[in-house]
This record gives sequence, C-alpha cells and structure tokens, in this order.
Amino acid sequence: MDKNSLHNLPVESAEELYENAPCGYISFLSDGTIFRLNTTLLHLLGYGRKEEIIKIKKIQDLFRIGGKIYFETHFFPLVKMQGFVKEINFDLVKKDGSFFPALLNVNQIKAPSSGLVTYRGSLVDITDRKNYEKVLLEGKKKAEEATRAKAEFLSTISHEVRTPLNAIVGIGNLIQKTSLDELQREYARILQLSSANLLELVNNLLDLSKLESQKVKLEKRNFSLKQLLEVLFQSFELRAKEKKIKLIKEYSGNLPDHLLGDPIKINQILTNLLGNALKFTKEGHVKIKIEEIQRSEKKVTLRFTVCDTGIGIPKDKLEIIFREFSQASYDVNLEYGGTGLGLTISQKLLQMHGSELKVESEEGKGSEFSFSLSFELSEETAPSRESRSRLTEILAASGARVLVVDDNPVNLFITSQYLQEWGLNHETVGSGEAAKNAVNDKVFDVILMDLHMPKMNGYETSAAIREMFPEPPPVIIALSASGRGDVNLKMKRAGINAYVPKPFHPPELQEVMVHFLTGNTGDPGNNKDISFTVNEQPMFKGKGKAEDSEPVNLERYHQLAKGDKAILTRLIKNSLKSIKKLREEFSLTVYNEKGEKLRRLIHKHTMTLHYLQAYRLSQLLEEYRENLQEEIEKQVQEDEKANIMEELDKIITRLTKTDPSQLL
Amino acid sequence: MESTEISPLKRNNVKVLGKGTQPIVFAHGYGCDQNMWRFVYPAFEEDYKIILFDHTGAGNSDETQYSYEKYDTLEGYTEDLLEICTELDLQEVILVGHSVSSMIAVLAAVKEPERFSNLVLIGPSPRYINDEGYTGGFSREDIDGLMDALDSNYLGWAAQMAPVIMGNGERPELGEELTNSFCRTNPEIARHFARVTFLSDNRGDLPAVKVPTLVVQCSEDIIAPQEVGAYVHHNIPNSSFVVLEATGHCPNLSAPEETIKVIKEFLDLPAKA
Repeated sequence: MDKNSLHNLPVESAEELYENAPCGYISFLSDGTIFRLNTTLLHLLGYGRKEEIIKIKKIQDLFRIGGKIYFETHFFPLVKMQGFVKEINFDLVKKDGSFFPALLNVNQIKAPSSGLVTYRGSLVDITDRKNYEKVLLEGKKKAEEATRAKAEFLSTISHEVRTPLNAIVGIGNLIQKTSLDELQREYARILQLSSANLLELVNNLLDLSKLESQKVKLEKRNFSLKQLLEVLFQSFELRAKEKKIKLIKEYSGNLPDHLLGDPIKINQILTNLLGNALKFTKEGHVKIKIEEIQRSEKKVTLRFTVCDTGIGIPKDKLEIIFREFSQASYDVNLEYGGTGLGLTISQKLLQMHGSELKVESEEGKGSEFSFSLSFELSEETAPSRESRSRLTEILAASGARVLVVDDNPVNLFITSQYLQEWGLNHETVGSGEAAKNAVNDKVFDVILMDLHMPKMNGYETSAAIREMFPEPPPVIIALSASGRGDVNLKMKRAGINAYVPKPFHPPELQEVMVHFLTGNTGDPGNNKDISFTVNEQPMFKGKGKAEDSEPVNLERYHQLAKGDKAILTRLIKNSLKSIKKLREEFSLTVYNEKGEKLRRLIHKHTMTLHYLQAYRLSQLLEEYRENLQEEIEKQVQEDEKANIMEELDKIITRLTKTDPSQLL
Repeated sequence: MESTEISPLKRNNVKVLGKGTQPIVFAHGYGCDQNMWRFVYPAFEEDYKIILFDHTGAGNSDETQYSYEKYDTLEGYTEDLLEICTELDLQEVILVGHSVSSMIAVLAAVKEPERFSNLVLIGPSPRYINDEGYTGGFSREDIDGLMDALDSNYLGWAAQMAPVIMGNGERPELGEELTNSFCRTNPEIARHFARVTFLSDNRGDLPAVKVPTLVVQCSEDIIAPQEVGAYVHHNIPNSSFVVLEATGHCPNLSAPEETIKVIKEFLDLPAKA
C-alpha cells in the first residue's frame, strides 16, 4: 500500500461510529422513557424513523411481557443498586410484533452538573447464539431426563420386587418350620438364604436410588449410642460364633451416651462394615473401636474403626471398592457373594454427614475401615427400646385412654383387640365427625387416626380436634396404609404427632405409644417427635398363595381371638360385613381409567384382605386395577370383573357358613 | 423428613437495627431481598426499632429450609413472618410490605390482628391475573413468559453478581455489607416463588384487615396497575390511598425520599377511630 493512500483515509466521526456500531445503543430516563437510540438498533427493531420511538416508547415497551416483569422485579432494581448490569437476555419486540433475543447491558450515568440520572444500554442480537444454545440445552435436557428415568425405573422395579420377595422370604421361613426330609430341608435352606440375599440387594438398590435422587435427609434426634452398639453386637454375635471369629469391642465406658444425630444411618453404616468384616474373615477377629477425638461442652467427635483379620484388599483396588457394583475382584463375588453396594451406600451416608470413609488394608492380613463423626451432646435421655413384654407392662400401667378412628369396621375391631390385650381403655368410632363428638364428651390420651376416611379425612379430623383444645392434649398417631411419603409437614400442620404404617407391627405401635405416654406431651407445638420412625418394611403380605383353593384363611383371626369364641364370631361377622360392602361398592362403582377409585377401595379394605388372607381376591383386584391403567379391551375387563364378583361371592359363602365354635 | 428446627431469625437472616422501641418490619418483594430497603430504612432508625429479613429462599436466608410444600402458598411466608414477630416478641408492629409481601402482610394482619398497629402496602396486588370483572394486568400466558425469562437468564444472572463482590468504587454508598446475594435466588426457588406470587388470589382476604392501612401506588406500574391499587384501597375498610409520582414497581429504590415521606405522614396521623 502506498503512503499516499494512508493520507486520504476517510474521517470517521463519533456520530458515525455511534450510529453504525455493531450493537444497538439506547439511552433512557429513570422511568424508562427512551431519549436516544442509534440507527443499528432502529433497524434491528424494524422501524424506519427514530421519531417513532424517541419520547414515545419506554425501554420496557420493547420487551415481551415476561421480560417486562423481569425488568421491573430483577433487572432495574439491581441497576439502581449497583449502577450497572451486564449481559442479560431479553426478547426484543420488533415493529411488526415479531421478536428476537438480545443481550442487554445497562450503565447508570449521573450528569456532573445537573445531577440528572440517565441510563445507557447496549443491545446485541444473539439469534444465532440462541439457536446453538437451544440445541445444546435440548441435548442436556434429554440426557438428564434419561438418567432420571433410569433412576426412577430402578427405584420402581426394586420397590415392586420387594413386595413379592417379602412373601418368598416369609414362606421360606414357614417351610422350615414344617416337617421336612433332609433333602427338602437343604432346599429350604438354600431358598431362604438366596431370597434373603436377594432382598438385601433390592433394599440396597432402593437405598442407593434414594440417595442419588437426594431423597434421603439426615435426622437429628436423641439416641443412646451404647444401646445402638449393644443391639448391633447382639445381631452379629451369633454369626461370629458360627464362624468361630472373635468379636471384639474396644471403647471406654466414658463414651458419651446421649447424643443428637441420626441413629438409623449410623447403624446402617456400622452394620455394613461389621457385616463385610465378618464376611471376609475366615479366622481371627473382627474389632470395632470407638475413640473420642474431641469433646467440648456441647459437641463430641468420635472416630469409629472396624478392622478384621480377613482377606484384605489389594492396593490397586482400594479406590474402586467404593464404586457402585464393584468388589475387589470377580472371584471375590463368586466366593463371598454380596452386592458391591454396601460401601457405596455407607460412603454416601457419611458424605451427607460431611465425613468420609477411609480404608487401609494389606492383602492377606486384613482391612481397617474408619470414619469420624461429630455429634451434639444431648441433655435428654433417649427413648429406650423396651422389650415387648415390658412395653405391654408400661402401657397397661399408663392407664391411657385411647380413641380409635377408622371407617372400616374390621380395622376398628382388630385394633381394639390389640388394645384390649394391652389392657387399655378404648373406644372406637367410624368417622371424623364421631371422633369430634367423642373428644367433646370424654378425655382421651391417645387417638389412633386412620388418614383415609370419606367426608372428613384423618388430617381434617386431627386439625379439628386440635382446634377444640382438649385438655390434656391427646397424642394423635396416624395409622395408614399409604406408606411413608412427604406427609410430614401436612401431618405437622394437622397436629398429628406420629405415624405408624398399616398393617402395623403391634410392638411398633406399642413403642410409639409408650414413647409419647412417658414424658412426652401431645402438645402439637412441641412435636419434634413427628419423625418417630418405625420399621419401613411392609408387614409380611403373603401374596404368593393365590393358587390356593380356599378363598380365605381364618388362621389369623384364630390367633387373634386366642380361643375366645365371642371374639372370633365378631371378627367373622365384621369381615363378612366388610366384604359385602366391598362387593356392593365394587359392582356399583364406575371406574375412571386411572383406577383411582378402585385404588381407594382396595386401600380401604387392605386390613380385611390381609387378615382373611384373601390372596386370590387381592391379586385379582390388583390385576384389574393395573389393567385399567393400561386400557385393556372392554371384554377382558368385563371378564375380570366377573371373576372378582365370583371370588367375592365365594368368600361371602365361606364366611356365612363358618361356625366359629368348630374352629376353636 | 425435616431436618432440625432452626431459629426463624437465622432462617430468614433477620437484622434488628434502630434506636426506637416501636417495631417497623420491612418485608421485601418478589425478585430481591432485604437490601432493597437500604435507601428507606435509615430514615426510621432514630424513632423505631427496624426489622429486616429475607424470605426463605431469597437473599441470605437458609435455603435448606425451603420446602416446596410449605411455600406453595403465601401462607408459608406468612407463617415465617409471624414466627419472626413471636421470636422477637414484637408488639404494635408497623408492617411495610412491598409487592408480593404486601399480600403476605395482609395475611399476617388477618391472622394476628392484635400484633399489628399499621400496614403499609407498597405496590400491592391481590391478584395479578385478570378475572371476570377484575383487571389484574396479566394473563396466565404472561406468567409463563416470566418463567421463560427466568430460565433463559439463570446463568447470565448468576454471573452478574461477581463485580459486586469485588467492591464497587463508583458507588461507595453500597457499602461492604451489601452481599453478593441481591436479587439472586436459586433458579428452582425463583420459578416456584414466581408461580406462587403471580398465581395467588387474595382478594377475599382484604375486607378482613382491621388494621389502619396505607396503600401506596406508583404511577405507571406495570406489575401493579393503578386500578389494582384502587381495588385494594376499596376493599380494605380502614385504608388510605396515595399515588406516588415515582414510576415503576420499586419506589423504595427509585424514589426513596418520596416513599419515606408518605410512610412518615401516614404514621404521624392520629389513629383513626
């Protein structure tokens, strides 16, 4: 290029640079009124003349409605607070009503002389960038959805598998109690062992998926560390003895006992580590050691160590043992079994506590797992786990007056049988309204509340009872078959103190009642104990017996009646009533395609079906309900419906014909 | 399972300031946090006890206490506010609520009327969505548009905060205590709060307010248009109505002097019979 041409370069004015800048410029007042903009922006917006905008439009008018709200509630307040905001995405509306995405920068400018505050913005069209972004975001969303779907699938399947598996385990136990020849006994043993292993795997899978979807939260409650350790030992002692391994505990008697923390998670971690240690040790010992590392007035830090003299872990495998489904080697799995999930779960549980599981090991010599946890020291004494007979004794001595609220007469009767057995005064009512009246008339210390009732459900009833301010305030315990969910807040609001899943294990209910009756008031304002946890495992629901020729089995009633003919007669009469009602409601109800009504109907009669062991009916109902969801042909539905009616009739006939005195 | 109970003062990042005894509680609106009162509250420091807080999920509140169930209605926020009042044992409270917090204030005053002496509602709207015979200013689709705006800005918005942490030489009045949290909320919570705010309908609660109330309306507020402010005034029995010269939705930021003036004038009035 020759020198001359450099002299003849055109002059670029600031004006020109402003007007034709690659981005739009806009200036506006505090209320948004636009007083200047450049040509680039004018064209971007599709206007011909600046007069169409200046002093007529506000910057807010250039945004779509969502952007307007965003501008008013987020963007402009921030500009006013810090004087500028950069690169926020707004959709700009063009003259013709179409819009495009742009990035907005705004600076606040204060004129030195007048003090007038104005704002200057620059706008960049990002249509292309937005398109790339969209593609990327879609990909990301798809990937995340797929992961979530997988996790959910895993969780659902595990859950579904657990129910029949519980039955298999239960049946395995029952078979062992019958008279068997040697070969059969061996088969039964294998059946029991394998099904127990399978159950453990499924439970682990469930735990893991809950942990991964962050559904697990840490609880904080009083517990006794010593008690926890004792129970833990008891459960491992037998296994250690069988393998002729010494189980050593090493901790000082001065160990702080009453702590605030999550005993269930800690128990799970220790159970896992001890279980592993025992599994991989053939001779020698397994030791649990607890040391106090730090202690202040309110807090204590403990180090837990579990070590063994087992097979050890090769150095290069120390990392991978914490990964899902990984054991040190394939042979390990062949020889020792296991899911390879235990350590992963323990590690995740510890991470939730802000801690970490550490491992040291030498192949052939043994392994040592350790972790530290900090606890707040608790002043209160933890509720102690009383033995079953002791629980009954305490309950009887408490003289508690109990009100049972349930719309299902069989449930009412069964619950009241237990209360009778425990020597408790009680009354039963069949509706929320009746419960209110009962509370009005009499004093109750405990109210056992069904959550699903027509008209007034358990939440509403509980809330209404709390509104009446009965003195002393009763403890309200919800009994429901709907499983554990996020009902805590809802229960808390309704003034419910605790929750026990139905069908309940009698000792669980006893334990919860004892907990509240001894020293804990039912004051809903003080119901930190709402998290009182009971065993999450559903009660053994023998589902596998559906092929039995008998439609029902009265054995459970037989046990419950304990030889009392009057009780047995009433139990049978009540279930007959309940089944007849089920038949009537089933035949009359027109089900919506989701089977919601049917689900509620089945739910309502869960206890009756459970006690009658009406497996075939349960199965038929369940299948029918599932098919409803899958929109099966009408004819098939009709056939199934007929089958259910037939089964119901069979049960009714059977119950009508039963003579209680012959059963006893 | 709920984790441990934490103090409402910690949960809502409560600050207590001022030399006076009568409490004046400032409740911030949607999108921001207690910092949005920073130009207003100093004017009350001499004569009142000032209480500032962040709604759960906003600002420097304890985000872990946020629950989709509790905060699915404005009642959840109302519970928090009343818990703060109980914890600090506040009586004769003057409650100043901006934007959505003016409805939270209404709910609080209906629930515990004896606790409050006055309400000041700045830019209130009992229902944002138009209804038969009622103009709220928005349609349901508009609110979805806001959700889109929130979504498309999450990353950009988060990046905005960095310069503030570095300090701001040009605006020293912001001071050091201005945290990097202003207007910054977890995007999931922001979406949820937006939904709860803009889909709420508290028209039925207005007549139950028995406390002397000032309704402060901005000129040209697209979030809460003038007819909405007038509606609030008409439906709260013992209320006065003032229209500010200030425009926009946040006079506490854009016109603090005018905002302070109308609040003071209202509080200096002899109590109405």
